[in-house]
Amino acid sequence: MSDAPLAAAPKTAAEAPRQAERRGLAVEWLRQLALPAVLLVLLAGFGAADDRVLTGYNLLNIAQQASYLALFAMAQMVVILTRGFDLSLGPTVSMVSVAAALTMAGVGGTGGSLVPAVILGIIAGLALACACGVFNGVVVALLGVSPLVATLGSMNVAIGIATTISGGRPVQGVPAPFSEIFYSGSVFGISSAIVIACAVGLVLHLVLNRTVFGRSLYIIGTNPGAAAVAGVPVRRLLVAAYILCSALAGLGALMMTARTGSGEPNLGGTLSLQSIAAAVVGGTSLAGGRGGVVTAVLGALFITILSNGMNLTGVDGYVQMIVLGAIVILGVVIDRLSLEAR
Amino acid sequence: MSATASLSRRPATPQGRDHLGRLLRIGLLPVLLLVVVAGTSLLSPYFLGWMNIVNILRMAAFLAIIACGQAMVIVAGGFDLSVGAVVALASVVTAKVMAALATSLGGPDILVVVLGVLAGLGSGFAVGLFNGLCVSRLKVSGFVVTLGTMSATAGIGLLLTNGIPVYGMPKSFIQNVGRLQFLGLPIAIYIALAIILAMAFVQRRTLFGRYVYAIGGNQEAAVVSGVPIRRHLVGTYVLSGVFAASVGILLTALVGSGQATLGGDAMMLQSIAAAVIGGVSLRGGIGRVEVVAVAALFLTILSNALNLLRIDSRLQPIFLGLIMVLAVALDEYSRRRMSSV
Repeated sequence: MSDAPLAAAPKTAAEAPRQAERRGLAVEWLRQLALPAVLLVLLAGFGAADDRVLTGYNLLNIAQQASYLALFAMAQMVVILTRGFDLSLGPTVSMVSVAAALTMAGVGGTGGSLVPAVILGIIAGLALACACGVFNGVVVALLGVSPLVATLGSMNVAIGIATTISGGRPVQGVPAPFSEIFYSGSVFGISSAIVIACAVGLVLHLVLNRTVFGRSLYIIGTNPGAAAVAGVPVRRLLVAAYILCSALAGLGALMMTARTGSGEPNLGGTLSLQSIAAAVVGGTSLAGGRGGVVTAVLGALFITILSNGMNLTGVDGYVQMIVLGAIVILGVVIDRLSLEAR
Repeated sequence: MSATASLSRRPATPQGRDHLGRLLRIGLLPVLLLVVVAGTSLLSPYFLGWMNIVNILRMAAFLAIIACGQAMVIVAGGFDLSVGAVVALASVVTAKVMAALATSLGGPDILVVVLGVLAGLGSGFAVGLFNGLCVSRLKVSGFVVTLGTMSATAGIGLLLTNGIPVYGMPKSFIQNVGRLQFLGLPIAIYIALAIILAMAFVQRRTLFGRYVYAIGGNQEAAVVSGVPIRRHLVGTYVLSGVFAASVGILLTALVGSGQATLGGDAMMLQSIAAAVIGGVSLRGGIGRVEVVAVAALFLTILSNALNLLRIDSRLQPIFLGLIMVLAVALDEYSRRRMSSV
């Protein structure tokens, strides 16, 4: 950035950077089109290998499976944008699942009406998720602890809470209307999981691109020092980002609870790392400031299609783990190389 | 060289403040350790029993070895998520190689054991080398690379065994490595002590150790000063891989079979927790392996104490999580206070 006022800059000097910028944009476009292209190739390849892959039923199935992972990847992406990440995402999912199921079973089981039970269950689940987000955000932003340690700590706490309040056993008694809303229901024939994921994705996309809050997250991730100097309330926004992340994870947890029909104390399992993997494969940069809803969704679709295709073509589950690991590494290497090319 | 490293580690402050800050930083761990030991020995008669002490020391030894490697990687500014998976892979590889050699060779046990151990260490070396090369040559974040190798390594371990324990190792390996005691203590403890002492020496007195501090403290400055950072980054990951593999081999000898379920995520997270509670900064450039070893001992004693006091095992992660966050928050607080003087 030069100190000279823009108007005083000679025209020819301004032309060269603009050209470079245009070339950079072209590379950026190519990079963004690469993953969708790979997705199509992957689908076509698996389709050629097995007839069941490209049936309408299976494609809907892929979309439904991907909608859960996409939601978690979006949640993770929000904090990765700010140079953080959330290792507590998986255990948060478990914790929310158990808490919501316990609340619903407790309120609904006494013979009361099911509607308040469902509403209270949703509120309890999301409130607990937000509490986890507040903890992460406060520890990261106000106490200055690295996101890794902060969320590693809250991850352990969430695991402890989830297994303690459930006694380590699945919680039964999830009312039918709850499953109706988050799983078995459909809008115009499209299952509610896909609808919710799409709606959340759309809103989050607008928030990240069209609001001051969203743009500020990018600024914080690109250069935290500059953001602070420019008057961005870095700490407050960081807390907000972690709350948003946990709230989205909580929503995903409600959807997964509706799918299994019970509160599961280890529902989250490996979701923390899976969501990071999905976000990173899609092109979200761990260095912060780069990524968005599109990258998270593409990454989630990629991983889902890959595992669905490998399942249908009979690839060994253990080999799938190796392939997933290789894909994650390949993803960041390609990202790195494209960064250097620019 | 050492002057720049120590400068970056300790901002120039008045002497008194410095002591206070250091007390705040290093003082927490021994105090916590004393409190836990004193409290538990009052409340439980079993805590200070010889069997329990040996048990604690053995488990702490395993954790300390892995945490030492993890600490070296973190000091250099990296991260190794793959250590838990390497423990499993090394266990499987060692057992498989020994079982295969024992049937095909039938020869002297010592040869079979040595080759098996070398194969196990080799697998850790290979994973570490891969991690290191990816990080140093391709300049990819260590977190993501080791996230990938974690999944791949665990997959290879499971693929090799189909999840079934591997038997058929020579009896002498189990008796002489896993269950042999020297002066009443399992040899794993002596191995851990030797590794900790060696690494403490490496950190203080060798070029490699000083360079690792320099790289973690300020990578650009290290490059400009002529530190061959690529080689040393690879070195830290290789060390971490080999240490994790050696724990895999020791555990294999202890349980008597090669298992792809040894180690795992829990071990990986605990090694990071031990390093962090032991004062290793995730920003790189700060951390001592001997403090990390004490932190590993502390974590082991804490979980043992919680078990003896019959605190629900489901509640235990909550303690671990809060203590970790607290330790790092205090560390951060004292550093801010020192630098604001």
